[in-house]
Amino acid sequence: MSNTILSFTLNGEFTEVQVSPSDMLVDVLRDKLHLTGTKKGCGKGECGACTVIMNGEAVNSCMVPAMKAEGSKVETIEGIGSPDKLHPLQVSFMDNGAIQCGFCTPGMIMSAKALIDKKAEPSKEEIQEALSGNICRCTGYVKIEKAVSDAAKQIRENL
Amino acid sequence: MLLDYLFPETTEQALSILKEKQGQARVIAGGTDLLLDMKEGKKEAAVLVDITRIPGLKEIKVDNGMVQIGAAVTHNQAAKSELVREKALALAQAARTVGSLQIRNSATVVGNVVNAQPAADTAVALTAFDAVAEVLSPGKKEYLPLEELYTDRAGKSALDSASQLVTRIQFPALLKNQGSAFERLEQRKALALPMLNAAVVVSLSGESFEWVRIAMAPVGTKPVRATEAEALLAGAKVTPEIIEEAAKTAIAQANPRNSLLRGSREYRLEVLPVLIRRALESAVREARNNF
Amino acid sequence: MKEYTTVGKSVRKLDALEKATGTATFSTDFSLPGMLYGKVLRSPYPHARIIKIDTTEAEKLPGVKAVATYQNTPRELFNTSATMTFTVPSLEPVLDQYIFDNVVRYVGDEVAAVAATSERIAEEALKLIKVEYEELPAVFDPLEAMKPEAPDIQGPCREGKNIPGETVKIPVGDVAKGFAESDIIIEKQFKLPIQKQAQLETQAAVAQVGVDGKITVWSTTQTPHPTRMILSKIFGVPHSKIRVLNPPYVGGGFGVRIGLSAKAEPIAVALSILAKKPVKIVYSREEDFIASDTRHGGYVTVKLGAKSDGTFHALDLRAVLDAGAYCSFSCETPGVLGAMGLSVYRIPNEYYYGHSVYTNKTPAGAMRGFGNPQAMFPIESVVDMMAEKLNMDPLELRMKNIMKVGDPWCLPYPCQSTGLAECIEKGAKSIGWERRGKLNKPGAKKLRGIGVGVGTHCSNAWPFCVDYDNAIITVQQDGSIHLASGVPDIGTGTSTTLPQFAAEVLGARLEDVNITFADTQSTPFDIGSHASRTCYAAGTAVVAAATDARKQILEYAGNLFEVPPENLDIKDSEIYIINQNLGEDCKGSGVCQIGEGKKTMTLKELAYHAHLRNKQFIGVGRIVPGNAPPWHAHFAEVEVDTETGQVKVIKVAAAHDVGKAINPVIVEGQIEGGVLMGVGYAVSEEIRYDDKGRQIHSSLHKYFLPTIEDTPEIDAILVESNEPSGPFGAKGVGETGLVPTAGAIANAVYDATGVRFYEIPLTEERVYKALKQNGY
Repeated sequence: MSNTILSFTLNGEFTEVQVSPSDMLVDVLRDKLHLTGTKKGCGKGECGACTVIMNGEAVNSCMVPAMKAEGSKVETIEGIGSPDKLHPLQVSFMDNGAIQCGFCTPGMIMSAKALIDKKAEPSKEEIQEALSGNICRCTGYVKIEKAVSDAAKQIRENL
Repeated sequence: MLLDYLFPETTEQALSILKEKQGQARVIAGGTDLLLDMKEGKKEAAVLVDITRIPGLKEIKVDNGMVQIGAAVTHNQAAKSELVREKALALAQAARTVGSLQIRNSATVVGNVVNAQPAADTAVALTAFDAVAEVLSPGKKEYLPLEELYTDRAGKSALDSASQLVTRIQFPALLKNQGSAFERLEQRKALALPMLNAAVVVSLSGESFEWVRIAMAPVGTKPVRATEAEALLAGAKVTPEIIEEAAKTAIAQANPRNSLLRGSREYRLEVLPVLIRRALESAVREARNNF
Repeated sequence: MKEYTTVGKSVRKLDALEKATGTATFSTDFSLPGMLYGKVLRSPYPHARIIKIDTTEAEKLPGVKAVATYQNTPRELFNTSATMTFTVPSLEPVLDQYIFDNVVRYVGDEVAAVAATSERIAEEALKLIKVEYEELPAVFDPLEAMKPEAPDIQGPCREGKNIPGETVKIPVGDVAKGFAESDIIIEKQFKLPIQKQAQLETQAAVAQVGVDGKITVWSTTQTPHPTRMILSKIFGVPHSKIRVLNPPYVGGGFGVRIGLSAKAEPIAVALSILAKKPVKIVYSREEDFIASDTRHGGYVTVKLGAKSDGTFHALDLRAVLDAGAYCSFSCETPGVLGAMGLSVYRIPNEYYYGHSVYTNKTPAGAMRGFGNPQAMFPIESVVDMMAEKLNMDPLELRMKNIMKVGDPWCLPYPCQSTGLAECIEKGAKSIGWERRGKLNKPGAKKLRGIGVGVGTHCSNAWPFCVDYDNAIITVQQDGSIHLASGVPDIGTGTSTTLPQFAAEVLGARLEDVNITFADTQSTPFDIGSHASRTCYAAGTAVVAAATDARKQILEYAGNLFEVPPENLDIKDSEIYIINQNLGEDCKGSGVCQIGEGKKTMTLKELAYHAHLRNKQFIGVGRIVPGNAPPWHAHFAEVEVDTETGQVKVIKVAAAHDVGKAINPVIVEGQIEGGVLMGVGYAVSEEIRYDDKGRQIHSSLHKYFLPTIEDTPEIDAILVESNEPSGPFGAKGVGETGLVPTAGAIANAVYDATGVRFYEIPLTEERVYKALKQNGY
């Protein structure tokens, strides 16, 4: 197997990692870079647990050949906030009870972040569209939808 | 086994890599279908030639009255494009229904056609728009009607992605008094392939249809034009009765399979006219608003 | 009512920060140095005998470290479910599974497994295993499988052809006489689909076998302690040498891993023993579908008799459930179906008869609701039909017949609380019941309708299964509290709710309480997370342990303060003297001086004071829980597209008597998630099989569970009836969210269309065909 060096900006930091051309981005993140916050629920783009943001767009990292990340900007759940400076979405998910088992949460938050980075005041329909590829089996999505809408409001008010 | 992954900077470079690799290389765009197919052993390649960074291929534009969709344009780009919504609403509607937002951010419209699944939503819309593909092959550039990109086997494209490259798909932008619409029957609102879909483009002349194009799927090995229904409507006065009759006429050219997953042939044949009727009604409304 | 400090408060979940930042560890994230990856070879046939199996080529592949088959793994029978391997006498355990057998009984059944240095190599090795099969006749429908000519799937069965374990019979009064005395009798048979838990994290386990023979398993199980017992039986290793734990988080469960995580744990252990290295197994999503337990499908018949004034007088309920190829929970599920189905209404004459039947399909096991949704869609449909026949409002008929406190019923514990009437009133208000019948304009093609369904459930599995809990509370030397409980937190909020109980009873600040859970090594036995029990039953043990610790604290403090313990209280982790003037009775203790200055002593000061005098406060809770019925009424509004058959659920108002909401936001979350799973059960979720025994719906893309875009408005309404047997009045709530949902939705579809459905889910084609047959 021919390996190659993948260079990209991961959570704001220049990153180099050895990959095989057939590697998918999710496996590089989880197995080679040990960023296990990005979850793998199906490996086929059917659940959204592996959602990351690549060049501003939410994508299923299990469907993205790692090589496509070359030169790109990738954000994962580990990069959007830290315990002392959480992203408003993280706070809102916690405060709204939008987290149950937590397996879908990183993907949900990344999908939501891609949305509210672009839309300061997303409609209900836009929130639903943004999260349509993120399966949650615990919450019935009620509190997740509210968490996204609240976080957007929070960000607007603090600008 | 996949050994290399390349990003050519021009279409010429892409073609020359394909030529050099003599069938071992394959074009990749969004990659959402290809990589899964490769993992499951359905497709093989030693080298992938990623065309999504070739300048210009991510463009949607109108040139000379033709809407052009570049080969790297994603479903989400098409769904959100003001230009597509204005000039080809049915395509935007179709693009919006595919998979999920994440899939739509990766998967390309042209890839949806090249993958040759008969029910591919944007391919159905593009068929109704009478689209043609700009195909580059060694030493030549052709403009092929969409229909010619399919074979008699569902899922098997007439194109050879180991030597050929679709650079864009184009079709006439809608003019005044023209409208389009897309309808889809699905088992849930996201992450579902269609049980049935239909796209319609109408051109009105006063109170009558000037011409109509109807595409429907999955009722054959490719998106199928309901030409008999189209002929019935051409020149006819717009009435609920003629729309109903046309919708029923369309079944004659539909040959859906029995699918344990996505509905029996019988059911699909009975419901198809409902979709076509609804699409015709919407497209007429759209055309009337577009004066 | 007493105002509590933490109980009843929607405090932020204690695991939320880890989960929101991506740092929470799940089994699939877990790894060990030198770890190998396991992959499983599965049967392509629904029923076959393995004539020959040759693994030599696979073993030669570089990177392959072990290949396991029935020939080199323990031949010890077990049952993957938490309860059956060690069921309560006089019931006899149904043990019908080996890790690997020489007969395969469904498509997906385990044939062999490989451990290799990478998943890719393990997958390559599977292709090199040569298996010769002799195909055997297969049967896929439970009614067919009961016929004499059907193949024996598990050998001869005592109670009848292919019937695992024992049939369940529940007699109440005289049902024949009851029907003879009834004025109206309605009898209908219903067909139930196979639903899938589809929890987000697939089945997974990492096993490590030490040089000393000690086994450690990190896995997705919902029940670490019973899982350890099953592994001990399979591998012949004492309980004390096996440790089973969650890492500590589990990506959902909904019943799918009550007991083993399918076979992830024993296969990982078997490979680890062979390879002498840690082995990790993560099921692919397809494996999770085809080779881990589903909900039971099957047939349920309801015969209901009523007096002309609407009083229910007799109920005969019968169930034949589809067990799939192995027993799992197929003996208990028909029991719960019957016990719950008979307990919603006050009916003097009742009879239930039910059992499961083996078929050559994926085993059915536990899934949220556990037989109860299968009972209530049929029962609530028939109750609505009865209302129509009686020309009564369906709400009035239900109100007239629902169980009241103290009413006799078939359950071996009393009904001590019910808020069902209040649930019905509040749910009806939320949905706008008065709009019913006035929703549609003549000639409309899309028809709206409103329907109702009600139900009950349990708050744990006692006295049907072994069901007890222990908890230990240790006050640390700095006054912080350590709580140890054997239950997992599969997302239901256990690791927050249990500390809330401890903090409330101890008077400690919630942030001073830390919990260790889901680990057999550091917690005493607990049956685990199932049967809606963790808050109610494990909570009862935590309250007992905290009460014990509190007593020790106050006795010590009383001695120190020279006041009787009853004159002391603890609040915000500080000990106060109450009921007397400070300084009166504490001469010489030194506390008066404290009292004069700051009037309290902190728990921290007291614990350290005790530590210096060689003492620690350790509270132990050892309880057998009572049991209690949660109640619920769901109201659904639907829109039926009569031209395509599509049913769109517009709103579900879900009113639930939860006893007492310990953490209301968590409780609402349980209900909302349950409701949506119930909506899926009603309209879109099913696993069907083709004629070769293969699942048609074997992926998240083909299995139509709802996405956010399919989600109706859900109004979760909490009703608190304050259950006397529950901790702070709580009852179970984990499963109730989907018990009455399908009934409410099917009744709403009837209200919209006038067409009654005897089979769910209400898919486009099924509804369309029925509408056509009824003149649409």
